[in-house]
Amino acid sequence: MTSPKAPARPLSPHLQIWRWTPTMAASITHRATGVALYSGTLLLAVWAFAAAQGEAAFAPVGAFLSSPFGVLILFGYTWALLFHGINGLRHLYWDMGRGLEVKQATLAAWYAFAASLALAIMTVAAGVSARA
Amino acid sequence: MTHKGTAIFIAQRASAVILLPLVIWFLWSAVAHSAQSYEEMRAWIAAPRNAVMMGLLIVVGAFHMRIGINEIIDDYMDKGFRGVWKLLNLFACLGAALLGVWSLYRLAV
Repeated sequence: MTSPKAPARPLSPHLQIWRWTPTMAASITHRATGVALYSGTLLLAVWAFAAAQGEAAFAPVGAFLSSPFGVLILFGYTWALLFHGINGLRHLYWDMGRGLEVKQATLAAWYAFAASLALAIMTVAAGVSARA
Repeated sequence: MTHKGTAIFIAQRASAVILLPLVIWFLWSAVAHSAQSYEEMRAWIAAPRNAVMMGLLIVVGAFHMRIGINEIIDDYMDKGFRGVWKLLNLFACLGAALLGVWSLYRLAV
């Protein structure tokens, strides 16, 4: 609740009133993957902590990451890193004042989705096949 | 946080640029060492170059994370509680960085 004296700052509009576009989807996914990577980094810190406790403490963590559910988590983490990184390049490009035309921005949004998904599949497949 | 917008904007971009090569290195290393045993992994982390790269990834990542989540707090959280959320955010990011660096130190030494 804002006090009546404070000038009201606009809130972000609700998602459901807009027609979805690739650029909008990429923008929302950038935020969502950013939030996901927050827990991903916390997990990475916990992973390092478990590893530092010795082999016995690390064994269940290693076993979990080799299980199908663990691989799914790793895939999600990998894709989130790749999407946020590739889409981050779009943001850096815009910050230079380039690539802001609708056609270019839309095409780059599709590329960010496609490239991150393809690279995530390749990365996780390479890791899993090396372990098998 | 008023009148700090430009500094935060630059800090977010600068940390993003530092994180890009670190993330590529991290994914590459994770795949390259996915088949290794605990002892092999430990020996890999103990190499100074790898420990420093991992430490940078966690510390710069935590710094970048804090800026991003503060932005989301500004957008969606009730004005009266934003300070509390931002403090919790700071603790979580600081906690991840400290836990990560301390663990890497224990692994490497």
